[in-house]
Formats: sequence, structure tokens, C-alpha cells
Amino acid sequence: MRRFLLLTGLLLLLAPVFGATPPEGGRVVHENALTRQELSIARTLRCTVCQNESVADSKAGIAKDMRALIRQQLRAGKSRKQIVAYFVSRYGDYILLKPPFDVVGTVVWVLPLFLLAVLALSGWLVIRRHSRATETPPPQLTEEDLARVRAARQQD
Amino acid sequence: MSPNGLSLNLIELGHFAAILAFVLAIVQGLAPIAARVLHRPQLAGLTGNLAVAVFVLTSIGGATIIYSFLTNNFSVLVVASHSNTHMPLFYKMAALWGGHRGSLYLWIWILTLFTMVLAFDGQTRYPERLPVILAVQGWLVAGFFGLSLFLSNPFLRLFPVPTQGADLDPLLQNPGMVMHPPMLYMGYVGFSVPFAFAMAALITKWRSELWIGLIRRWALIAWGFLTLGIVLGAWWSYYVLGWGGYWAWDPVENASFMPWLVGTALIHSITVQERRRMLHTWNIFLVICTFSLSLLGTFLVRSGVLSSVHAFTVDPGQGSYILVFMTVTLAVSFGIFLARGRYQEAEETVTSPMSRESLFVWNNVVFTTAAACVLLGTLYPLAVNALNGSRITVGPPYFNTVMLPIFFIMLLLMAIGPLVPWRKANLSRLRARVVIPVILGLAAGVTMAVLAWPVYWTGPVAVGLVGFVFGTLVVDLARAVQQRRVQHASENVVVATWHTVVGNRRHYGGMIVHLGVLMIAIGIVGTGLFRIEKSVVMAPGDVVKIAGERLRFDGVRTVKGPNYVALQGHLTSLDRGFVLRPERRDYGRQQMPTTNASVNSNLLRDVYVVMGSSVPGKNGVTRYVVQVIINPLVQFLWMGGLTMVFGLGVTLSHRVRRAARAVATEAVSAYVK
Repeated sequence: MRRFLLLTGLLLLLAPVFGATPPEGGRVVHENALTRQELSIARTLRCTVCQNESVADSKAGIAKDMRALIRQQLRAGKSRKQIVAYFVSRYGDYILLKPPFDVVGTVVWVLPLFLLAVLALSGWLVIRRHSRATETPPPQLTEEDLARVRAARQQD
Repeated sequence: MSPNGLSLNLIELGHFAAILAFVLAIVQGLAPIAARVLHRPQLAGLTGNLAVAVFVLTSIGGATIIYSFLTNNFSVLVVASHSNTHMPLFYKMAALWGGHRGSLYLWIWILTLFTMVLAFDGQTRYPERLPVILAVQGWLVAGFFGLSLFLSNPFLRLFPVPTQGADLDPLLQNPGMVMHPPMLYMGYVGFSVPFAFAMAALITKWRSELWIGLIRRWALIAWGFLTLGIVLGAWWSYYVLGWGGYWAWDPVENASFMPWLVGTALIHSITVQERRRMLHTWNIFLVICTFSLSLLGTFLVRSGVLSSVHAFTVDPGQGSYILVFMTVTLAVSFGIFLARGRYQEAEETVTSPMSRESLFVWNNVVFTTAAACVLLGTLYPLAVNALNGSRITVGPPYFNTVMLPIFFIMLLLMAIGPLVPWRKANLSRLRARVVIPVILGLAAGVTMAVLAWPVYWTGPVAVGLVGFVFGTLVVDLARAVQQRRVQHASENVVVATWHTVVGNRRHYGGMIVHLGVLMIAIGIVGTGLFRIEKSVVMAPGDVVKIAGERLRFDGVRTVKGPNYVALQGHLTSLDRGFVLRPERRDYGRQQMPTTNASVNSNLLRDVYVVMGSSVPGKNGVTRYVVQVIINPLVQFLWMGGLTMVFGLGVTLSHRVRRAARAVATEAVSAYVK
């Protein structure tokens, strides 16, 4: 039932509205196309004076200015890469919410894999070592017992 | 005497009570040692009474602070800096934990409460070991009291007395925020109890069969509070911070998430020890880690080393104190662990790689990896900065990328784990049980991929896994109900289901918790992948269209609250008729205005609206930036959180059978002799 609700919900949300009638009571305002790009870039940058907020989420003045800078550069026809590079040249890697793949940054990306590998290996060793040490064959049933079991099963 | 005059005197009484509590806590920590050194065993018996006394004295201290808040006694520093006469009563009381001084006091207060409950609980059930357990708690209380009284004193007075106080941070003036810290602290502090047991057990060579059952409930309760605290924090963040999200991988959020992850590993692995008498030393290690991470969380929040929304700005003295305190605690506890751990050896071993116990080992591997990754991401920028001076940021995109695969493995284990029996699984039987859930999961994943195309690969995988887990939950329950109906043919399906669940509350409570996790997973998929947002500039009468929803902006008006003035926007849904009133609240006194989102929720989606700044338009019409977010399935997060806590309650309502308890008591007394 939940899945059904979920899927109908997704359908409802994602289906484009066909043949929408003009809304009563006002003109429809649209989002500026630049705003979308601007926010998507702002989301990957850190607001420099804030405490762990992205430029997109922050309400600080500097975040506003940084968004304006992004918009200005988008208008000038710069690509996403160029804009991010501009901010990195100004503030350093600190501005990037996702650490880059350089010497310092790669460590933080590779270490989780390493941790998982080490812990998984030790988990595997715990299971293996113990299971090998105690693997005694289960006692065999005698013919007599087997007959008893069969009889009991047939009664069911 | 005027109420204010009374309050003036009372706060000093409270201060005195707190100092006395500090001293008595030290005595509580010393009593068993003195008993041993002086050969006077009756001294150890004092610890129980001392625990009660410490709690009573701490409560007197806490009550006088709260009383000072209620009577606007601005001669008390914490009152003057976090409260004023205009604040609603509710928030005046909650202002106790609005700053670092008061919230540390609350932490201690809860710790002394737990210690007292422990003293009563242990009186009849484990009197032999109780003094040592209480002594460990006593040292913890004393350690935190030292920090509070010497470096972060909530009883400090101001002179001259200001006529009016400052304000509680407006962001904190919200019911979710009022409940969030106490719940979180109950969780953090709750894990001190298993820690004290483990220490006492190591010191007195108490075999863990005899106490692991005792800490299970404590660990579960602490875990439940921590879960509730985290969910409340997310809820607050969603409704008050006005960014449309609920989890930002903020260092302080991570600080609460790490003990939660290790605590989750712990509550699973305790079960293995109870059922199969394995992983004894590992469990003690987990207990120490969980509590250490709770301490680390406190340290990170208070030391000011991290930049975070939640961090208190405090002097470095506190940071050094906590660092020393934490180092001593870690060194002592791991030292004792290394010296004495071998007395706690397991009796049994894993019989087969395909057994419940092996899967629990994998659970532990995954959860500890997750905690280690969060720790890494949180501390790495600090380490880099300390080592070569460069500054880097490890932000939400990093955590999302790294944690997602780990979450997927968790879901997978959650699906298989409950199906696999203890000791050794019969593979062919297991295969038969997995068929339906696997089909369900595949169907769910494929449907998702087809209907919501194009979507990032994580969506179908997550939904497929959720379907798989859901399938196993249903199949597991259905099989049990079927078996019951074979035995009790007269019962119909509903009655049989009820009896099945009630008959094994411990197991099905856990399964309800898993169901809650699934709901949260659904919520995360919905909000993470299908969130739609628009930021538009609107004049009164303008309409914004988003995801089939049409909202008309009707303008703004000014609203006066008890201690703020709000600019309230008004938006009407043209299709459904609901009205949204987002606010920008100005609390005056150089506080940043807060943006209070307005949300229309149903099961499927939230329409979330935030008012931005005003934009002067043409013809003198002021226009406003309005941000509209369609957040699918958010309500599943809160429902999932509640379901988890409910499931935990079901598990805890399972009483240890009297016979089993009698056997245990017998074993204890036999051991004691």
C-alpha cells in the first residue's frame, strides 16, 4: 500500500501539467533561468563567514554578494567550471564543499574505502577463525531415531 | 520579601548546593577505594546514599536557576544573557539550556538523575558491584561539575544588575528546540551507564554473562533518547532554519550521529552475547567507544574548535579542560580494558558464516565503518589545518557520496539478518524465504526507474532495497502468523497477528524499528532526489506555478508576536485553497531576523514557502523574493522517527520472564560465593 502511495505520489509530482488553464487572479511569474544555474553553483560553494552553510542556503550578506558575483559571471557567458575556478583562485580549496582530488583531498576520499576494507577483513577473520575452530560434524541420527522422525512427520 | 529578593538569595543557596554536590560526587568516587584501602567495607555502602544526595543537591541548584529565569532575576549572568521580561514563560524555562553554562548544568543534572536511578535499581539486583559502578559515575559527575563550577558557572552574578536581559537566540525559541537538547543529553548521558558497568566489570573481574543483560535495557533507552533527539533536531532544522533541508552534516550533527551509529552496533551486538555468548570483549570495546564519542561530541560543541551552527562561543580554557578530561577518561578506560579485557573471554564461537551471529558481525563492521567515516570527515579539516596550515572543507556533498553506499549495505543486511537463524542457516530454506522479498525489491526498483526516468542511479537502488527489506518484514511476520494459526485454528488473521506480535515483543519491536528506518529511507529518497524549488520575485497578485501547484501571492502584513514583530506573507493555493503564511521575524536587539517557513503538508509532499528580502519594483510596488520548495515525502521522516521510538517501546515492554530472572539470580549468587 505504501509503495502504491509512493508511486502515485511520484507520478503526481512529476507528471507535467497538460492543458493548464490560465490561473485566476494574476500573471504567472517565472523563475529566472539564471537563478537556477546560479543556485546550483552556489550549492557547491561554502559561505566564507558562515558556519558550515553553502552559499545557496546562507542568508548572510556575503553569501548574497557571492551569488550576485555568480550571476554576473553567468551573464558574461562564463561556464560553471570557470566560475568555480574563479572562486577557488580567490579563496582556495576552502571554498569547495567537496574536497578536490589533490594530495590533501584524496586522502579523505580513499580512507573510507581503506577503513571498510580493514574492518571487513577483520570481521571475516573473526568469523572464519572461529567457525573453523569449532566445526564439528553434527551427530548422526541412528536408524531408530530416523524412523521415529519419519513416523512423526507422517502424523502431521 | 519581594519575589525578586527571595530569588536573589535562592540563587546563592543553589550555588552552595551545587558545590556541595561536586564535593559529595568526589566522595562517591572515593568511597569504594577507601573501603578497600582501609578495610572498612561499610564505606562502600555509602555510595548509594551519596548518589541520592548528589541528585537532590544538583536539583536544588537547577531549580534555583529556573526560578531565577521565571522571576527575571537579571543579577544572574545566564538569566541576563538569555532571557528578558518579554519572553513567554515556556521559553524562559527552556532558556536554562539556551547557553553553554546552563546546558552543561542540564547535562550534569541528567547524569546525577541516571546515577540515582542506577543506585535504586542495583540495590537488590547487583548490590555487590553497585559501589564500583556508582564510583565510576561519581567520577564522571565530579569531572563535569569541575568544568561547570570552575569554567562555565551558571550561578555567576552580575553587578551592576541590568534592568533588562538580552534575548534567547530567536532560532531557539521553538518547541522542537526546547525538547531537542534534553533528549540528546538523555541519550549521551544514558550511555554512561553501560560505560560504568563495563568499567566496574573490568575492575572487579565481573563476568559479562552476569551483567550484559542488565545493560541491554540501559543501552536501548539511551539509544531511544538519542534517536528522538536527532529526529527532533532535524525537525527543528526543517521548520525553523528555513532552508528546506533537515540534515546538513554539520559537525555538531555528526557529533550526535557518531555515538548513535556505534550505539546501534552495540545494541545489536549485545543480543549476540546474550543469545550466543560471544563477542564479550568486543562489546566492552563498543561500550567504551560509544561513551567516548558522546564525550567527543560534548568537546566538539564546547571547545570552539569547530565552526558550526550549534557551537557555543566559549573561552579556550573550557576546551583545554574537556580535552584533558576526555584524554584521562579514554586513557584510563582503554588502559583498564587492555589490562583486564582478557578476563572477559567469550565461551562460544561462530559456527557458520551463514548465521545470525555472523550477520551481526557484519552489522558491526558496517556501523563502525560508518562512524569512522563520519569521524574522519568531521576531524580531517582540523587535522589538515593543524599539520600544514591549509584550510579545506569537508561538506555535505562529501558525506552524501561516502555514506550512501554504506547505508545501502545497512539496508541489505537489514533485509537478510532477521531471516537467518542463529548458529547455522539451512540455505535451501533461506532461499525459499528470500524469493518473494527479492521479487518485490526488484519490482520496486524497476518501477521506480521506469516511472521516474531519468533519475540518478541511487533512487532505484534505494527503493529496491527498501522494497526488499519491507518484503522480508512481511514474509517474516506472515510465516509466524501462519504457524500460530496452525496451533490456534480458531483465531482469525488479525487476532493471530496481534498474539504473534505481543507474544514476542522483543523481536517484533525490533522489526517495528526497522520499519521506521525504512520510512526514513523513503523520506530521504523523496527529499534527496525529487525536491523541486523555485526562487521568484513576486508582487501582490502574482502566481507561481511549481510541480502542478499554483500559488498566488496576496501581499504582506505586519504581525506582532509576544517578543517579535513579523512581516507575514500570504500565499493562496489556487487549486486546493490552502493558505501559507511565511514570516520574517524581527526580535530586535541586533538579532538577525529569522525566516519562519510556512508548510502545507500531506503524506506525499510538503509545499514549503520562505519569504526573502524585498525588492523595490516599478510604480512603487514592493516585490518580495519568495522561495517555494516542493519537498516530497518529508512526513515519512517524522513518522519514521516516531515509529522507531514506538518500536523501541514495544521491545522494552517485553519483561524478562520471572523464571529466567530466577536462574540468573541463582547464577549470580553462586558466582558470588
